[in-house]
Amino acid sequence: MLNYNQTLKETKTYSGIEMSEIKPIMKLILRGKKREFLSAVGKSLNILLPTEANTSTTSQDLTALWLSPDEWMVFSNEINLMDSNIYPIEEKLIQNISKLNLGAVVDVTDHFVMINIKGPKIYDLFQTGSPFNFNQFKNKKGSVTQTILAKIDVIIHNKDNENVNLLVRRSFSEHLFSWMNDSASRL
Amino acid sequence: MFVINCPYCGEREQSEFKAGGEAHIVRPKQPTELSDDEWAEYLFMRKNIKGIQYERWNHAHGCRKWFNMVRDTSNDEIKAVYKMGEKPPTI
Amino acid sequence: MSKSLRVKTSKFIDETTRVSFKFNGSNYYGYKGDTLASALIANGIHLVGRSFKYHRPRGIMTAGSEEPNAIVQLNNNSARSEPNVRATEVEIYDGLEASSQNCWPSVNFDIGGINNFLSPLLPAGFYYKTFMWPASFWEKYEYFIRKSAGLGKSPTESDPDIYDHKYIHCDVLVIGGGISGIIAAKTAAKNGLDTLLIDEKPNLGGSTIFQNSDHHKINNQTSSSWLEKEISEIESLENLQVKTRTSAAAFHGYNFVLARENLTDHLSLEDRKNKVRQRLLKIRAKKVITATGSLERPMIFNNNDRPGILLSSAVKKYVDFYGVACGTSNVLFTNNDSAYETALSLFKKGIQIKAIIDIRENATSKIIDEIESHGIKIYKSYTIVDTEGYKKINKISIMQLSKDGQSVVGSKINLDCDCLGVSGGWTPAVHLFTQSGGKLKFREEDHVFVPNTYPSKQISIGSCNGEFELDEILKLVPLQIKNFLDVEKTDYENLSVEVSKNLSKRNIWLLPSDKVIGKTKPFVDFQNDATAKDIKLALREGFRSIEHVKRYTTTGMGTDQGKLGNMHALGIIAETAGVKMGELGTTTFRPPYTPLSFGTIVGRNVGEYFDIFRRTPMHDWHVKNNAEFENVGQWKRAWYYPINGENMHQAVQRESKAARESAGILDASTLGKIDIQGTDASEFLNRVYTNAWSKLEIGKCRYGLMLHEDGMVYDDGVTTRLDENHYIMTTTTGGAANVMGKLEDYLQTEWPELDVYLTSVTDHYATISVCGPNSKKIVSKVIPDLDFSDESFPHMSFKNSKIGNIKCRVMRISFTGEHSYEINIQASFGKSVWEKCMEAGKEFNITPYGTETMHLLRAEKGFIIVGQDTDATMTPIDLQMDWIVSKKKYDFIGKRSLYRSDTIREDRKQLVGLLTDDPQIVLEEGAQIVEDVNKKPIEMLGHVTSSYYSPNLNKSIALGVVRGGKNMMGKKLFIPMENKIISVTVADPVFLDKENKRLHA
Repeated sequence: MLNYNQTLKETKTYSGIEMSEIKPIMKLILRGKKREFLSAVGKSLNILLPTEANTSTTSQDLTALWLSPDEWMVFSNEINLMDSNIYPIEEKLIQNISKLNLGAVVDVTDHFVMINIKGPKIYDLFQTGSPFNFNQFKNKKGSVTQTILAKIDVIIHNKDNENVNLLVRRSFSEHLFSWMNDSASRL
Repeated sequence: MFVINCPYCGEREQSEFKAGGEAHIVRPKQPTELSDDEWAEYLFMRKNIKGIQYERWNHAHGCRKWFNMVRDTSNDEIKAVYKMGEKPPTI
Repeated sequence: MSKSLRVKTSKFIDETTRVSFKFNGSNYYGYKGDTLASALIANGIHLVGRSFKYHRPRGIMTAGSEEPNAIVQLNNNSARSEPNVRATEVEIYDGLEASSQNCWPSVNFDIGGINNFLSPLLPAGFYYKTFMWPASFWEKYEYFIRKSAGLGKSPTESDPDIYDHKYIHCDVLVIGGGISGIIAAKTAAKNGLDTLLIDEKPNLGGSTIFQNSDHHKINNQTSSSWLEKEISEIESLENLQVKTRTSAAAFHGYNFVLARENLTDHLSLEDRKNKVRQRLLKIRAKKVITATGSLERPMIFNNNDRPGILLSSAVKKYVDFYGVACGTSNVLFTNNDSAYETALSLFKKGIQIKAIIDIRENATSKIIDEIESHGIKIYKSYTIVDTEGYKKINKISIMQLSKDGQSVVGSKINLDCDCLGVSGGWTPAVHLFTQSGGKLKFREEDHVFVPNTYPSKQISIGSCNGEFELDEILKLVPLQIKNFLDVEKTDYENLSVEVSKNLSKRNIWLLPSDKVIGKTKPFVDFQNDATAKDIKLALREGFRSIEHVKRYTTTGMGTDQGKLGNMHALGIIAETAGVKMGELGTTTFRPPYTPLSFGTIVGRNVGEYFDIFRRTPMHDWHVKNNAEFENVGQWKRAWYYPINGENMHQAVQRESKAARESAGILDASTLGKIDIQGTDASEFLNRVYTNAWSKLEIGKCRYGLMLHEDGMVYDDGVTTRLDENHYIMTTTTGGAANVMGKLEDYLQTEWPELDVYLTSVTDHYATISVCGPNSKKIVSKVIPDLDFSDESFPHMSFKNSKIGNIKCRVMRISFTGEHSYEINIQASFGKSVWEKCMEAGKEFNITPYGTETMHLLRAEKGFIIVGQDTDATMTPIDLQMDWIVSKKKYDFIGKRSLYRSDTIREDRKQLVGLLTDDPQIVLEEGAQIVEDVNKKPIEMLGHVTSSYYSPNLNKSIALGVVRGGKNMMGKKLFIPMENKIISVTVADPVFLDKENKRLHA
C-alpha cells in the first residue's frame, strides 16, 4: 500500500561516535494534572510516569520521559510495524484517559525523529552546539533534558552509558543531522 | 547571559528562555466595563525600573512553563523565581 | 640573523628547528618557539610599522598581547589575509608572510610620514574641526581621509578556515597560568573541583617561568625552577584541564566567559589542513579566578616612541625567554626596581648596559647594590628629556630632575644607545574584571586601580589584584584561594620566599623636558598617536569627562584599547584638572580583550548552517520535480515548478489556470497544527478567536481570526472539531510557534482554571491539498473506502479515514475558492500519498503548484494573508471582515480594543481591491497609493499589499490598504512610480466567484 519514507537514511560513523535514526517508534504525548490521571496511566501501561524533573522510567515495552509537570512522552522500546499506525496502547489510553476527561493523549510518532547516538564522544558533539550542562547528565542513566542543539529544540535521553536518544522535530531532523555529522567529523 | 533557575527544571542558560515583560498585571475579568483609559492602562503601561523588577519568563526551549522572576535590573542579579499563582516574595 | 643578537641558548626556543618566514618581502629565519617579534629582533629589525596619524616609524614595544605598535598584516593578498595582528603574539611557522601596515610605498619610506612634520597642524580633534566645514564638503573629504587612515586591509575573499564553538561548564575557571594561576588551579583540582585553566601564551608559567635570578627564591630554589616543578605535576591532576594559546576575550555576568582557543595558527599551512583553526569557548563557571597579571607601564617623555624603545620587562623577556638581545648598547629608564632585574639579566648574558636612569632620588635595595657592584652607571634623580634616531633610537639626552619633579635642572648629558628599556611601574590587568561588572578602587600609595567589589562568584589574585612581588603573592594567594574555594588546605602555605627588591616607586605621569610642552612629543597612546599635549588641549577646550576626553583625543581607542598608556592619560587629566584619580574613574574596557576574527565569532554558523532549514515530508519530491523554493519562516516551501524552461511568471500562470480548470495539488504541511484537548476546549476557542465555537458540530471545520489584545489581527486558520472535547487548530506557517506560545501563555497565566491541553503536532502530519473541479474524483481514487458525496462530506467538514492500515484525517476546506480536500497523514507516508494523488490525477492533468500560485488563487478570492495584507495595525474591521467578529460573545482576546477611540476611526487604513485601468499593468507590491499627484507634499493614502496577473480573469488584480478605503468603492486613485503614474480604481476585494459556486462545483 503506502510506502514508509524515513528522513535519515544512513547510519553515520565517526571516530568515537555513531548515529542513526531509529524507526518506526510509537511516540505519544500524555498530558494530565490529576492524581487519577497518573494512576490511570500506570494501570493502563504498567509503567509509572516519572514525577521527578529531568528523569525517565522504563518498562519492558515502554519508556516514559518527564517533559514538564503535566507532560510526558511515552515511546516504544522496540520498533513498530511499518505498514500500520494503529497502536493498541494509544487506543487503550484514549479509552482510559481522554474519554474519562482525565487528560490528553496525542500521537506524535512522526512529530519527532529519534536519533540514537553511541560512543565516547557524544557529549563532545553536544558541547559544540548546546548550552546545557551535561556534566551530571552524562553520569546519570535515565536522565532527560529538553534543550537547544544548533539552535534547534531537542529532547535528549541518557539511555545508557555512551548511548543516548535524541528526539528532534521531523522537519528539523535532516538539517540537524547534517550539522551533527559536520560537527562529529571535526571532533 | 543569565543562568536562570527554572522552578521546574533547575538551572539553565538564558538562551533556553523567553522574557515576557512585567509580572502581576492581571487581565481584567470584565474588559467591556472599562473606559478607554482604564483599558489602555492595562494594555500599554509597563514599568521600567532601575532596581528590583518583577517579571515573567517562559522556559520556552525546555518545559514551556511560565514563571515569575525578581530581578535587580541595575546589576541583573536574580533575587527569586517562583511559580505562576504563587505569592511574590518581598525583596 | 645577526649572531650578536641571538645571545644564548634558551630552553624555550628549539634552536635545532629553523623556521623561515617573510617580512615585507624579504626572507628571514628564526627558531621554533620564536614569535614574529622575537625573530625580527634577532634579525636586527625593530622598525615594523608606521603610526596611525603621524606615520612615525614604530617598533616592537612589548612581548605580549598589549602591543600597540608592532601590528602587522599576515598573508597579504590571500584568502587567509589577516590585519592588525600583534607580532608579539604570532608564533612563526614555515611559510609565514607578514608585512607592515599603514605605510606606503614602504615602511622605510612612507609618504604619510609628512604628517609628522605637519603635526603642529594636526592637534586633537583636527579632523572634527577642519573637515566639517562647510558641511556639504564632507563627502569629498571623506574619500581622502579614509585613504590615508586605517590600519590593515580586510581580506577580500571568504575565509577558507574552519571555526567552531564549544560550551564548557566547570566548577572553577582560572584565567592566566602564571604563578598565581598555577597555584589556584592546582589547589582547586586537588580539592576535587572540576577546573579549567586557560592562558593566552603557548606555555604556562607567566613571567616567573624565566625568572632565574638569585633575587627571587622559593624554598631555596630559583622561582623559575620551583614553578617548573609545579607545572610538571599538572598532567597528573584528573580534574584539571589546561588550555594554552587560549585568550579570554570577554567576561560577562553570571561568570560567562568567552575565550578564543587558537588551535592551528602556530602550524605550517600544510599541517593546518582540515583542522579547526580557532574555537570560541563559551565557558560557564561556578567560580572564576582571574590571574591575568599586570602590564608594565611605559613612561611619558619627549619622543618616547622610537623603534628600539621597549618596555623594560619586554627587554628582559626577549633575552631570558627567547635568547634575543634587543640591542648591543642598552640604557634602562625606570621609576622602580623592576628595571634592575632586566639589567641583571642583560649583565649575566654579557650584554652591555650603558646606564640606568632612575628618576628616584635615593632608592636602595639589594638588587640595586648588586648592579652598582658590577660597575654599571646609575643616574639617580635623572630623567630623559629627548631621544634621537629616526628609524631606530641612537641617542638619549638626560637631565637632572628638580626636587618636585616638575622641571629639569643642570646641564644635558647625551648618551649613545641602540635600545632603551623603560619601566614606569605596573598596572594590574583588570580589563576582564571590569567587563564582568566589577568596580575598581584607586590605591593612592602606588597609583594603581585594583579590584574592589565583585559582581559574581569570582576573585582576582596576584598582580592583577595589585600584589606585584613574589613574596606578597605567595603570602596572600594561597589564603585567598582557600577562602574563596572554601577548601581545607593548600600546599602553598609554608613556603619560604626571598625577594631582594624594594617596592619604592616615584610616580610622575608626565616627565618634564627642557623644552616647553608644545615643542615636545610625549606619546600616551602609541597606536592612535595621542600625546600628553593633546590631552591637555582637550582639557583647555573644556572637556571634563574622562569618556569625552577619550573620544576627542582617541586615547585608548585603538585595537589595543590603550593597554599601555591609559593610566598616564588618567593621571595627566587628574593632575591638570586638579581632581583625584579615584574620583575621576576610568574609561570602560570593552570586550574583546584582544581582537577576535569574525570567523571565530561565527563558528560553524556559515554556509548551509547559517540558518535553520526545515523540510516537509515531500521535500525530496519537490526537488526531484525541479521546484524553486521560497523561504517561509525557517521552512523551504516549493515556490513554483517550472517546466520546459518557463520563468516564474509563466509557471505561475500555467499552475493557476490548471488548478481552476481541472486539478492542482499543494504541499501544505508547513501550516502549524495544534492539538487541543480538554473539557474546556470550546470555551478556550471562544476566548482566543473572534467568532463563536460552542455550537460547531463534531466533524465540522471553521475559519477563525485571532487578535492581539490590542485588537490587531495576529493569525488565522481553520480549526476542526474532532470530538466533543478535541479540536485541531491550524495556524499560518510563520506564526505557528508564536501562536502556540501565546495560547500557552493565556492558559498558564490568565486562565489556569481551564481544562485544556495544547500539543504541537505540526511535524507529525504531511498535509496534501488537492483542489479544482476534478479534486473529488482524484481523492476518491486515493481513498476508495471514504464516502466523498456532497451530502455526506460537504464543504467545511472532516472525516477520519484509513489508507490501508494507516490512519488519516481528511478535511474539505479551501484556500483557493475551488472544491478542495486536504489529506493529513502521518509524515512518513506523506510522500507516498502525494505520489498516489499524482498518479490518480494524471488523467486530469493534476498540476503541482507552489506558494506563488497559492497566493495568486487566494487573491482572486480576496482571502487575506496575515503578514502580507496585514501588519500589526489592522483590525478585522479594517480588513472589512466584520462578519467574523461575534457581537454576542462577552469577551475574547482583543475585543475591548475594537472600540477604542483609535480603532473606531473611520479614516483608518482599510483593505480594498484595486483594479488598474490598463488591465495589463501589474502593480508593484509595496507601491504607495495617492489621491492627488499634484498636491505637495504628496499625501500617501496607503500601499499595495498583494498584486498579481490573474490568468483566470485575464487582468491584473491587487489588494491594498487605503485610508478610508471602505467608502471609496469605484474611486480613482493613483500609484506614482519612478517613470509613470498608474491609475487604479478601488474595487471589491473579491475578484472571482463572489457567490462561491466553485466550492461546490
